[in-house]
Parts: sequence; C-alpha cells; structure tokens
Amino acid sequence: MALLEYFEAERLLKKHRIRSVESSYVKSADAAVKFAGEGKIVLKAVSGKALHKSKSGLVVAGLSGENEIAKAYKLLEKRAARYRPYRILAQKMVHGGIEIIIGGSEDVQFGKMILLGLGGIYVEAFRDFALRVCPVGMADALSMVRQLRSRKVIAPDPASEKMVAELVLKAARMYQGSRIKELDLNPVILHDGTYDAVDIRMIK
Amino acid sequence: MTRPTYFDLEPIMNPKSIAVIGASENPDKIGHVILANNVASGFPGDIYPININASGPIMGYTAYKSVLDVKARIDLAVIAVPAEVVPKVVEECGKAGVRGIIVVSGGFAEIGRTDLQDKITKTGMKYRIPIIGPNCLGVTDSYSKVDTLFLPAAKIDKPIVGGVSFASQSGAVGSSVLDMIDSEGFGLARFISYGNAAVVDEVDILNYLSNDEKTKVIVFYIEGVKRGREFIEAAKKATMKKPIVVSKGGMTDAGAKAAHSHTAALAGSHQAYEAVFRQFGFVIADDIQELLNLSKIFETQPLPKGRRIAILTNGGGTGVLATDAIYEHGLEMATMAKATEKALRKVMPPIVNVRLPLDMAGDADKARFEAALSAFESDPNIDAIMAIALFQTPGADENVAAKLVEYGTRMKKPMAVVSMGGSYTRKQRQIIEKGGVPVYESPGEAAKALAALADYAEYRRSHGKKG
Repeated sequence: MALLEYFEAERLLKKHRIRSVESSYVKSADAAVKFAGEGKIVLKAVSGKALHKSKSGLVVAGLSGENEIAKAYKLLEKRAARYRPYRILAQKMVHGGIEIIIGGSEDVQFGKMILLGLGGIYVEAFRDFALRVCPVGMADALSMVRQLRSRKVIAPDPASEKMVAELVLKAARMYQGSRIKELDLNPVILHDGTYDAVDIRMIK
Repeated sequence: MTRPTYFDLEPIMNPKSIAVIGASENPDKIGHVILANNVASGFPGDIYPININASGPIMGYTAYKSVLDVKARIDLAVIAVPAEVVPKVVEECGKAGVRGIIVVSGGFAEIGRTDLQDKITKTGMKYRIPIIGPNCLGVTDSYSKVDTLFLPAAKIDKPIVGGVSFASQSGAVGSSVLDMIDSEGFGLARFISYGNAAVVDEVDILNYLSNDEKTKVIVFYIEGVKRGREFIEAAKKATMKKPIVVSKGGMTDAGAKAAHSHTAALAGSHQAYEAVFRQFGFVIADDIQELLNLSKIFETQPLPKGRRIAILTNGGGTGVLATDAIYEHGLEMATMAKATEKALRKVMPPIVNVRLPLDMAGDADKARFEAALSAFESDPNIDAIMAIALFQTPGADENVAAKLVEYGTRMKKPMAVVSMGGSYTRKQRQIIEKGGVPVYESPGEAAKALAALADYAEYRRSHGKKG
C-alpha cells in the first residue's frame, strides 16, 4: 500500500489525455508567490504519512498576494512538521464549477470497478454515485452519468454529458491498464465547458 | 483445483433413475420424505432406496446397502445421511458412476466444518460429478417430476407448471417463495436450492437455466457468488436470452474493509453486486414480494417498445395515483393518436373525458373496458397499458375480468392490472392471474413492474445491436 507520488500520478493522467490543474512543488514562500503570479493558488502539504490532506489541515485554499501566500506557507510548514518528510505543492485555483469524483477500486469477486459521483465534500453526504465493472464502453459511461440523481447538475446538456462520459471512459482505461489498486480523482472540477482534475490519489 | 467452467445439471434436473441414500420406512426421516415425495409427484423413472441397514424393501422398492450394489445406471443420487458419513457416500457414488448428486444434509461449512465440505468438493472435481449442496433443499422439477424437497406436501402449495425457474442459495427463502408462487398465479419450471455450493455454484445454475428451453424467466436469490468473472460472462449471455430477476441477501457490509480512498469507501461489496446486476441487464428486486411482483409480469407479458403508458381506470382517484406512480418510476404518460381519441369519443358516454389517464367512470362495464383496450391495442403511440379495475363498482364483474384476460394475453404490448379490495376482488383477481395477466395491489407496484419491463427491453435493444 503506497501512495503514488503526485507528478508520477499526473504523468499517468497526461498519458491518457486526462487534464489536471497546473501544479508545482515549491521549496519556499517566494517560489509559491512566483508560481501564483496574478492568480489565486492552493497550497498543499503532501506526505505519504498523511493520506487525508484536508482532514489533517494540510490544505490552504484561495491564496493570493505575497503576504497571504507567505503566511499560509509558514502555517503549512508548522502543521506538516509531524508528517515529515513532506513536500509543498502549489496548484492554480480553478474558479467555480461542479465537483465530481471519478474513482477506481478493486472488488474481491468482480475485480476492478470504476466509479462516477457527485464529488468534493458531497461524496459522503449524498453518496450519489454510479459504479461499473471494468472494462466499460461508451454506453456504460453514459448510463453512469444518467444514473446519478445529480445528473442535471453535473451534465445539464448533451455536450457536458458527453464530456463527462468520455472522461470516465479514459479514467477506466487508465485504471484498468495500470497496477493501481485504488484511484481517487476527487474533485474533478467541471468548469467553462472543460474540466480539471484537482486532487489525484493513486494507491499502488 | 480445476473445474469445468460449467457443470451440466441435466442428470440432476432430468434423471431417468434416482437413488435416495438414507431412505427409510420411518416417516420421521428426511430420506423417507424425499422418497415419498418422488413417488407422490409421479416420477416415472427407476427409484433405488439406499440404506446401510437395509434388510428388506423400503416403501415397496427393492432397497440396497450401497449405490455400489445397484447394477444399473444411476443418474441422480440424493444424499440424506449424517454429515460425517457424507464424504464416504459421495466417494461411493463416484465409483458407481452416478451422474449427479444432491446432498441435502447439513453440518458442513455453515457450522464451520469446512473440512467435511472440502472432501465433497474434491470428490466432485475428481469424478467431475455435478453436486448440489450440501445444506440445501435440492430441486423440484415440473417437467421431469424430480422432487427432493423434504417439506411435508400438505404444508406447501404446489405451483402449476409454467415458465419460471427459481434458484435460491437459501432453502428458507426458497421454500417460502415456492409456497407463494401458486397464489401469485404463475407457473414453475424448475426450482433449485443449492445451499453451500460445494461444487455446483451460481455460474453453473445460471448457465443451465439460460440454455433451458422450458425456462422463460430466471428468478435468483443470491447471497454471494463464488466466481465473479465467470458469473459475469454467464450473465452477459443469459440476460440476452431471457430476463433474470435477482434479489441479493446481505445488504449491509458487515466486514467493510478499511478504505484508503473515497472510492473504496463508497464501493462496498453490496454496491459492487448491484453494479454488476445493473450493468449486465438483471432485473433487481429489493425484497421477496418484489421478486414475485416482477417475475410474474416477465413470465406472461411481452416486452414494450418504449416507455409510454396508457392508464385506463374505473376510478378517477386511482388514475391520479397511477399517473404519479408511472412518472416516479421513470415512465411517461402516452399521448393518444387522433384515431384512438375519435374511436373512444364514439363509444364512451359524454361524462367520460377522452384523455389519459382514461377515467371511464364508476359505472364502466365490460363494453367500456373492451372499447378502451381495443383502442389502446392498436394505438402506435402506446407502448404499455395499466388497467385499473375496481371491482367494488356496479359495472365491474367477472365479465370485466374475462375481458382483461382476453386482451392481456393476446396483445403485443404488455399490460399490468391494478385491483385492490376484499374477498370479491380477490376472486376476480384470481381469475385474471390464472388467466395469465399479472395483477397488482397498487398503482405503484404495477408501475414498478412495467418500468422493469421497459428497462429490460431497453437493455436488450441497446446490447443487441452490437451483436
């Protein structure tokens, strides 16, 4: 049971043409400020010892400006001290949008399964998700979108329905063809007619 | 351990000769009941009672001390002896060339004696004999007349012969469903209670029933499957041939795994089963009553071309409830073709508003029911019909019931009847169900059944094209 390093995971996504938000490890507050430029960023402390970053207080979001970023950077260093070794990941903020989860897990009887659901903080509250056995085809992926109670929020029009279904299909292919045991893309943010995987968790 | 992908159940379901091991003159012994039931059901083949202490004929049949003493071919051996001796008896069956075995005895994996069960499995694989059980009721077959159920005949309603085959891991669920099948008005082809599945498992049963011509609908009560991927392969083929109504026991994940991801936390074992059932075209029933409700519509009614429902009723309020129910289950109200409207306008009295749901008023009689059914039958904008017949009204009687049977059995689109009430209604309901048309207690149940039919039809259409 080992967490795949962030950029290793990102490379796997890129290989399967799955978009993820622009990210970089930063070694100092200055580097984080430079990465942010004019925009807003999120800072995350990444450690193999802390599987749940937000539950451990290792995520600070909505940062902009030199002061704010430097303050958050310091805070993270303090909180992450007990999870050494750790690294600090800076990510561009994606504004607005609907959060979904795409995931994979292995069932003892049926093998690899792919999941699509309402994501982010709503995952556990609403438990609105669809599950299928790999391999899945486009018809399965579309039926997963249509099965969700939140389908009208996630895919209000045929174009977004197609985009989400295609994303599920790509993720399923990636997951099935890899040695990953568990996969969480949560959230993937749907925004402006496109999407970005914001948090990636792959467990070997 | 190697095993064939599918064990053939033909020697068990359609044997020409049966040995009952543990047969006895003592009516308290299970072996006695099994022997007696096979005699009573009119099993036409040879019967060999086997008992290690046999000293004379049992129930008039020549008895033997061992299957090895029988010098004729034994297709099926039913074993009802104490668990400790079962492995030895199974081995003897293997040596004697028995072609199929049912072990009804309990006392194996279900109480922790996996050692005894493993011996059965090994012997079964060694001789390549299909073995059902242990710890099960075995089978009853409406066609071959095999009956290994050790239930007193007086306590269980024997179903009529029909097209539904029912397989159940649990003997208790199996026997109560079997008992209810008759009162729900549908007929049984084959019943299999397979218990601990030491050799024959869900995959073998699914494969056998899907290739069985007498089985039109498969009904499955499952607590878990042993060979997941093989189950999926068998299911893919089976659901393209005939509907499988499934109910899964053990909804809660008692031993839920420690999850490291959101996905693993959401996707428990029960969710995985449900996903598989949905993905491969099963009809999912939430409980035993629903299992029966869904099975009976699949046995008698054709698949609809779409989801557009026409409701006809002799009670306005029930029509409103039914309208809510169909939308709640993902169906929609049909819009009548102009020709249908015209035809109905001609025959219905002025108090009847010709639109859907069609409220034919409280005094609707056989003639009005017939006019509506006949118009709906030929309307291309209508995919399925929900007919509400409240028999408390003056116009509704056995003539209305007869019309519902006539149309419900001849139309090329499915119909579900809704009828609720007391003893008079129950009588009419029985006429309709025995006639081959499913009747439901509420619009909700009927809508759910019609929706299941439409979902399954859609699955078949969408998966058929790809070939």
